[in-house]
Amino acid sequence: MSGYFRVRYMQDVALLDTRTQKAWFAVFLVFLLAYPFLANALWLDLANQVLLASVGAVALMLLTGYAGQISLGHAGLLAAGAFTAGILFKEFGAPFWVTLPASAAVGALLGLAFGLPSLRLRGLYLAVSTLALHFIVIHAGAEYETRRGYSTGIVIESPIYDARHWYFALLAAAAATVLFSLNLLRSRTGRAWRAIHGREAVAEALGISVPRAKLTAFVVSSAITAMAGCLFAYFRGFVSVEAFSLYLTIQYVAMIIIGGMGSILGAILGTVFVVLFPYTIDAAMDGLGLAGRFSSVIFAVNYAAFGLAMILFLVFEPQGLVGIWRRARNWFLLWPFKQRPAR
Amino acid sequence: MQLAVNILVLASIYALIACGYVLIYRVSRVLSLAHGELMMLGAYGLYATASLFSGHPWIAIGAAVGLAAAVGVAVYLALMWRMTGESVLAAVLATIALGILLRGAMILAFGTQTQHPLRDLGWQNASLDLGGARISAVALTLVISTVVVYGALALFLRASRWGIRMRAAGQHPLLAAQRGIGLHGIYALAWGLATLTGGLAGMLIAADAGLESTLVIIGLKAFPAALVGGLDSLVGALAGSLIIAAAEVLLIHYVDPLLSEVVPFVVLLVMLVIRPWGLFGTREELDRV
Amino acid sequence: MTLLRLEKLEVAYHRVITAVQGVSLEVAKGSIVALLGTNGAGKTTTLRAISGFIGLDDARVSEGAVIYAGERIENLPPHRVTARGVVLVPERNKVFENLSVEENLQAVVPRRGTRFDRERVYQFFPALARLRRREAGYLSGGERQMLAIGSALACAPELLLVDELSQGLAPLLVEDLMRRLQAIRAETGITVLLVEQNAGVALEVADYGYVMENGRIVLDGTPERLRSHQDIQEFYLGGTGARRSYRDVKQYRRSRRWYG
Repeated sequence: MSGYFRVRYMQDVALLDTRTQKAWFAVFLVFLLAYPFLANALWLDLANQVLLASVGAVALMLLTGYAGQISLGHAGLLAAGAFTAGILFKEFGAPFWVTLPASAAVGALLGLAFGLPSLRLRGLYLAVSTLALHFIVIHAGAEYETRRGYSTGIVIESPIYDARHWYFALLAAAAATVLFSLNLLRSRTGRAWRAIHGREAVAEALGISVPRAKLTAFVVSSAITAMAGCLFAYFRGFVSVEAFSLYLTIQYVAMIIIGGMGSILGAILGTVFVVLFPYTIDAAMDGLGLAGRFSSVIFAVNYAAFGLAMILFLVFEPQGLVGIWRRARNWFLLWPFKQRPAR
Repeated sequence: MQLAVNILVLASIYALIACGYVLIYRVSRVLSLAHGELMMLGAYGLYATASLFSGHPWIAIGAAVGLAAAVGVAVYLALMWRMTGESVLAAVLATIALGILLRGAMILAFGTQTQHPLRDLGWQNASLDLGGARISAVALTLVISTVVVYGALALFLRASRWGIRMRAAGQHPLLAAQRGIGLHGIYALAWGLATLTGGLAGMLIAADAGLESTLVIIGLKAFPAALVGGLDSLVGALAGSLIIAAAEVLLIHYVDPLLSEVVPFVVLLVMLVIRPWGLFGTREELDRV
Repeated sequence: MTLLRLEKLEVAYHRVITAVQGVSLEVAKGSIVALLGTNGAGKTTTLRAISGFIGLDDARVSEGAVIYAGERIENLPPHRVTARGVVLVPERNKVFENLSVEENLQAVVPRRGTRFDRERVYQFFPALARLRRREAGYLSGGERQMLAIGSALACAPELLLVDELSQGLAPLLVEDLMRRLQAIRAETGITVLLVEQNAGVALEVADYGYVMENGRIVLDGTPERLRSHQDIQEFYLGGTGARRSYRDVKQYRRSRRWYG
């Protein structure tokens, strides 16, 4: 590798290290800020969707990718945040700066509920308990809709209408989430999470309170997810229980698996992949001239293609897009020397 | 009395599906969340063979059942076999992804209309009277089939050579391999049997109530039945199915019809809190995952 | 004739930790060979390398060869190795606890082309005959070990690898098991590679012995030679009987006589 050595702890922990990294980041920042003025309407909307989804994906990555707590209840948490916003708006006409913290609070409380089973259960059984909680939350939402007569959903008035304004709002949200997560991960909490992911018994022996670490992971992740749900409600202008199906959870899980577990970059790459995927399939169908034939069942084509893509990643690229990215980067870093692992 | 009959029928449905979950889990520690979709695939299989062999209903049924088993084996050989080295979560996600793939493929292949395979077979679903309660002929067949299937499985696992080997492989796969038991064969057999029973359930439900895309949800609701009973116990699957069916039917009748979707999961959650390994499961199972 | 030969075998974990370094040994057909050593010497890893169950902990044979009946079998998948007649009695998880004794034996799939009468196991171990219907999980330690060996025999093996037979068993029981092993060898002509920490009892039944330490063979010879070797006596057999005071503990400074 290069002759760059880190001699101080702050250097090790810093997010941006070398001058090249900082330069690239500056370029990236400029690109991000200029994007809404360069992109057309479709690409702007896509970017908005990616940014919005990335908040939830990063939250799930913190919980499952770093702390190792498997959760299949993500859609339920998103629904909780969205419904909090919807209910507060509909019943009390609450403004955005009330609904967002309220969503976070509801998410945190639910996170506690989702997290309690994790103190006793692990792996599959934990995943199943979060799944059960998801269904219960969705049922509660459906009950509310039926009881109050909003069978088609709750309409929410959003303070932001313009796509460009949404872009900057969502960019701020996503950036805040990423920065918060990166900071949390290089703090004591983040290290505790990595420890309990590795070996719980050893973490306990090191003096880490495993129950506290687990519950913190659930609470933090769920609060962020609920806030994402709240943003989701405003973005669509509409809250309905059908949008928060098990399939949505699977999409988020796919984001972190396809992106690559244990990496914030992975969460973002995965989000880009999963959000763009249906549009790519649509474009492919158009290109192959099959669009007309399958127009009525295009969602089925998406389903099938998505399932296939997930299987392919699970079987052939278990480390996800981040794994591919790292291999590519290492290849360039080491070029022209090819490093082979010891036989 | 009618309630009792309803509970019996629903419990039979859940039990027939749940034994698939148990078989696969017990043998390979994998939770196949594609079971609902495979169940529906079985039903569509019957629809396809009924049209193909119209006029020969028994051949159609036989072909459909055989097809279901073959699909199960094929799923193992094509996909799950490759996941044997990976973590349990990855394998479970693979089954979820498979389920999604199958759902899309089925809609593409068969469309979204409701089908009625029973009509295609040329049979009627007579309504019978059982001590004052109504039960359809197909539903009665379903109950009988569940009993037969469980009896056959119990006999197979207890008394036959390969059943014993299956139990052995489920307990200590490494030792089983060291004693000459081919693990891939055992897993393929488990998947074949599970998909056969699940497909059979799908066929019977479709014959009774029609084949539509909501069939898959029943598959998902049967999953708590397997867990409540204990994921590695067939007896547990029976018990769990009865409990959840009873809870569901009674609560729908006396409290609120909307509860039907969520009751299995509430019971599941309660069980996970009190006794995570289920009524008849072994405690060590918890630590394995 | 030599049934099994290891030539400068090297086994590495995770490609970086060499657990077995340049081990060479020979097992003659029909003999009982003991592989001795303390914890962590690499004995179990060696057995794993022979039986093929090595990939589990991300280990590989990185150098050398395992030659069985003239054929190189290192890195073969385990079912191929078992098919050739090499059967392992493992240290842990040696029986199926949920199955009865009879079912444990029924579960075994004997080597292709051979047949094994289960009754022979009950002849070798009469105590098991009484326990046919009992669940293996409820057997005592000695009975469990008997069942483990019995189920291995049901595979109709040519080479039996036994890992830590004496682990957790009372001395009298261990002696009895070892004698039965000898009887089985006499009757079936089977070859046995015995990995043991209990050197004393192993050397009573073995025809030849190897001592492993830190992944290397440090000594080998007939039981008589090994028993009389001073280092073996001190480290494995409890010393020569003379009293020692802690003040005399200079032995750690004495250069090892292994390599002489």
